[in-house]
Amino acid sequence: MAADTTPPAAPEDGLVGITIDGRTARVAKGTLVTDASAILGIHIPVYCAHPKMDPVAVCRMCLVHVEKMPKLQPACATPVSEGMVVSTERADVAKTREGVLEFLLLNHPLDCPVCDRGGECDLQDFAFRYGPQASRFPITEKVHFNKAVPLSDRIELDQERCILCWRCTRYYDEITGEKELVLQERGVHTLVNTFEGKPLTSAFQGNLPEICPVGALTNRKYRFKARPWDLQRTKGVCPTCSYGCNINIDSRDFEIKRFASRDNPLVDDMWLCDRGRDSGPSWNNVERIRRPVLRDATGSREVSVSEAVAAAARSLREVRERHGPSSIAVLGSAENTNEEIWLLQRLARTALETPHLDHQLEAFPDIGPEEHALGIAEIEQCAAVIVLGDEPEREAPVLTLRLFKAQTKRGVAIRRVVAQATRSLVGELPAEGLIGLIADETNREHATALAGELSRSHQVRRMTVTRGVNGRGAKDLGMLPNSGPGYTAVDQAGKAGRHILEASAAGLITGLVVMGGSVWSASVTPLLERVAAALEVLVVIDTRPGPLSRAATVLIPGHAIFEKGGTVTNMEGRVQRVRPALPPATQTPSETRILSALAAELGAAGWPGDHLLINRELVTAVPAYARAGNGGRALFEAAVRA
Amino acid sequence: MGEHKLLTEHFGTEGLQTLAVYERVGGYQGLREALSRFTPETLIDEVKASGLRGRGGAGFPTGTKWGFLPKDVFPRYLCCNADESEPGCFKDRALIDENPHQLIEGLLIAAYALQVNTAFIYIRGEYHDQRLLLERCVEEARAAGHIGANVLGSGFSCDVIVHGGAGAYICGEETALIDSLEGYRGQPRLKPPFPALKGLYGKPTVVNNVETLSNLPHIVQRGGAWFKQLGTEKSAGTRLFCCSGHINRPGTYEIAMGTPIRELLEEECGGIWKDRSIKAFQPGGGSMQVLLPEHLDLPLDMDAVAQAGSSLGAGAMVFMDETTCMVNVSMRLVDFYHHESCGKCAPCREGTYFESDLMHRLEAGHLTLEELHTLADICDNMNGKCFCPLGDTATWFVMSAFKAFRDEFEAHCGAGACPVRTASAQLVTA
Ligand SMILES: Cc1cc2nc3c(=O)[nH]c(=O)nc-3n(C[C@H](O)[C@H](O)[C@H](O)COP(=O)(O)O)c2cc1C
Ligand code: SF4
Ligand code: SF4
Ligand code: FES
Repeated sequence: MAADTTPPAAPEDGLVGITIDGRTARVAKGTLVTDASAILGIHIPVYCAHPKMDPVAVCRMCLVHVEKMPKLQPACATPVSEGMVVSTERADVAKTREGVLEFLLLNHPLDCPVCDRGGECDLQDFAFRYGPQASRFPITEKVHFNKAVPLSDRIELDQERCILCWRCTRYYDEITGEKELVLQERGVHTLVNTFEGKPLTSAFQGNLPEICPVGALTNRKYRFKARPWDLQRTKGVCPTCSYGCNINIDSRDFEIKRFASRDNPLVDDMWLCDRGRDSGPSWNNVERIRRPVLRDATGSREVSVSEAVAAAARSLREVRERHGPSSIAVLGSAENTNEEIWLLQRLARTALETPHLDHQLEAFPDIGPEEHALGIAEIEQCAAVIVLGDEPEREAPVLTLRLFKAQTKRGVAIRRVVAQATRSLVGELPAEGLIGLIADETNREHATALAGELSRSHQVRRMTVTRGVNGRGAKDLGMLPNSGPGYTAVDQAGKAGRHILEASAAGLITGLVVMGGSVWSASVTPLLERVAAALEVLVVIDTRPGPLSRAATVLIPGHAIFEKGGTVTNMEGRVQRVRPALPPATQTPSETRILSALAAELGAAGWPGDHLLINRELVTAVPAYARAGNGGRALFEAAVRA
Repeated sequence: MGEHKLLTEHFGTEGLQTLAVYERVGGYQGLREALSRFTPETLIDEVKASGLRGRGGAGFPTGTKWGFLPKDVFPRYLCCNADESEPGCFKDRALIDENPHQLIEGLLIAAYALQVNTAFIYIRGEYHDQRLLLERCVEEARAAGHIGANVLGSGFSCDVIVHGGAGAYICGEETALIDSLEGYRGQPRLKPPFPALKGLYGKPTVVNNVETLSNLPHIVQRGGAWFKQLGTEKSAGTRLFCCSGHINRPGTYEIAMGTPIRELLEEECGGIWKDRSIKAFQPGGGSMQVLLPEHLDLPLDMDAVAQAGSSLGAGAMVFMDETTCMVNVSMRLVDFYHHESCGKCAPCREGTYFESDLMHRLEAGHLTLEELHTLADICDNMNGKCFCPLGDTATWFVMSAFKAFRDEFEAHCGAGACPVRTASAQLVTA
């Protein structure tokens, strides 16, 4: 932005003009000086200020000069006003920063060399950039605190490193509402501790080390595992549920060391739940399927990929010739990427010509996009939100934080009711405004019934918490027996997941293709054993061994979600990219390449195998995905159903 | 000029702490008149006209402060600030000990003007006896129909609640007081919003000092104009000065504003003790800058004292004789702030600790000249940078003393012992 010192005539745009270090901008009323400076590319160091919390102005790191003010002002707590002129470059501001840093370091242990945070610590960074070169305080006079206070089995507090920025206590007050951390004592003896010394119980503790600007709060599972500069960072999506929290995958030596949050205000709002965050290392060193295997009555042998693909095609063709196309079924999973789903449902419908395909066990009669109309961030715009049962928040824990924010910061009425609640059980609702209705997949019938009742008096928008990182994408793209890509009608409805398995056990289905089945298989192990015994042909593409892979006639190794590229769709329809963060555990090509090779062997040549090309094909066929682009929501008009 | 007894007029009257005696000397007449002769609006105008300024330290015009309450937002709250913890300050204790009903009457008058139905008296934890006394007086007044529903048959209702603090200086700061009253750690709140808009329980709130409120019965009875002509142009009325230090008659004296400080020292306090001469004095309590003998001719007027670089603050006068070591006094005061820092903001929390460390080593004669300059520098890094005035004022006395008595400070450096004490010892024995 050009330096312009003449104050602009204030236009009637609801914005206010501000000048910082000679640069001017017009920003929304109420914008804080720190945020305005960020817009102008001017750095103001902060400690206590946090983008998701109300200002407290306790650290005094952000003091700046504001014209006509007698004292320096905390930029983090000062809203802009028309014609405000701010300087961050004056000598008094520089001296104050140096002074504040000297104070913050006064009783600090200076143990950066053994601190987890060293290398990504605001105290270290600002001390280098704005701080004094040396301490004038005798080291012998430092106040000492406890250096390793376990706050729970997850979090450890170093009270000496703490700079008392209040972020952690405010996190518990403002973000989770659980109030588990408190300040004790006063003056230089002030310290952070758990309320009444009880261990933390929150399901969101992993966020604490991230909001701590220094190395005071550390994650006990990550402590001493890596230095920040050793880590390789890849953007990703948390694979644990369908909420789609954005993460950074930090790995070292080809091992995931931690999941870090990556703020997406529309989804996670920068918070992760502990279940998701702690799942990071579980992706390392798991038992994996590494080589293609062919198996028959005489035994099993390792083969090349092309041999395996050819064998799969040959045996499926034989089954079809003997028993007809309806004797074959295809099962995907909610862990498949959209690109994999696209090819898999196409393989079922056009190459194998079977109506029996699904991605999970339960049937979804009358599925339609109206079940997914409400967006996560839209919760904040509702007048009231009804949550059916505790399943939605158990399934997608970060939802709880969004509901709390909507309630406390936006005044949304949150009604948690039993899953079977009827209109009268919900009680009084605001007369005006949007009503959000949240249920999980097991309660979608209750939700449909209640939505019907509510919509007589209110505008209702539903949210359905799907299962699996891409359960929503699988439905959108038609990995269903009763709904085609984009919720289009199908000529003939096939069997749903559980029926496919039951039919297989009963010998009605004799050839089965399973991709990523280990996700849903755990709940039906005895049935799977019968399925495995009954099937003539079982083609399994999967990452981890399970009852099906052990019985597969053709077994092809798959790639874990962190070993491949593609997109996944979260429960509200947000299409988000996944990228390889680890080298694959197998030499075989990606699932999409396997599927296109299999199609070719089955006589359908020319299918793309590269996920970018598949994506291009997919968005052309499903316009809602084209409109969503990368990171937007896929919004469908309504079900086009026969 | 000189002593003028208004608030202290009946001090010493046998049984004044009882409702009967208080009413016999004209007590609660101001409340009756307020309720009968004034509307809340005209009462606020009367207080504005009186020129009354807050006695809690900052000297803010009381009527103006009352005018900041937003119209039509209820409930509103009134808090009497009886946290009195300023070093050298004990006037509020005297006002409570000697004439508690005067305070309660003033509180009720303010409550009526502000349309407050619940008023609090927040009293410091150490004033245990005074809290019991106030509680007893409140019950007595309630039994007589002065407190509670339909005060004196006027249709106005007001409850009074006495709340004891837990012994923290910071809880005298009005927003920390509100936090403490709400049951939280007493620490100052971010302003804005000011208490007038969002105070106790998020509602419009006025906090007034004990002495400020104790003036109200007199203003109502004798009129704002009468009150205003007591004292000077901008400092109306009288003030209670808590005089202590090296004087012959320490105590609380009620003085008309405008009286020269020297008159207070010589007439009321009986001059400096032991026939010594005055070295310095502190006019407003531990937070305020030091003044010198040449400032004794200043009038007791908030603005005049402010021009001389200090403040009348909360009305504590500490006189120091020629044997006083200014480094020692500075150290004692710095220790107070170090001990009382609430720990909310970094410059005060850490700065007072640093200051205290330096002052102890200076007092013992172990500081280097370079470190003395560090002291000045860190005070500069604190002053004006803290969250609330406590941290800022933690530097005011020591900085002003360093400026006025630089030789003395420097003489301590590397001396191995306090040079002033050594010299004074000779002076006293000689
Ligand atoms: C650190 C600090 C301590 C204070 N202590 C007191 C106190 O003990 N009593 C008091 O009346 N005001 C005290 N004040 C001033 C109050 O914040 C407030 O200004 C005052 O109570 C207002 O009353 P007034 O307008 O009647 O003066 C203190 C202020 C600060 C910053
Ligand atoms: S532990 Fe960290 S987040 Fe909490 S107050 Fe200390 S520095 Fe701030
Ligand atoms: S200046 Fe800061 S630490 Fe000191 S009392 Fe005020 S808020 Fe607390
Ligand atoms: S960042 Fe502004 S005071 Fe801490």
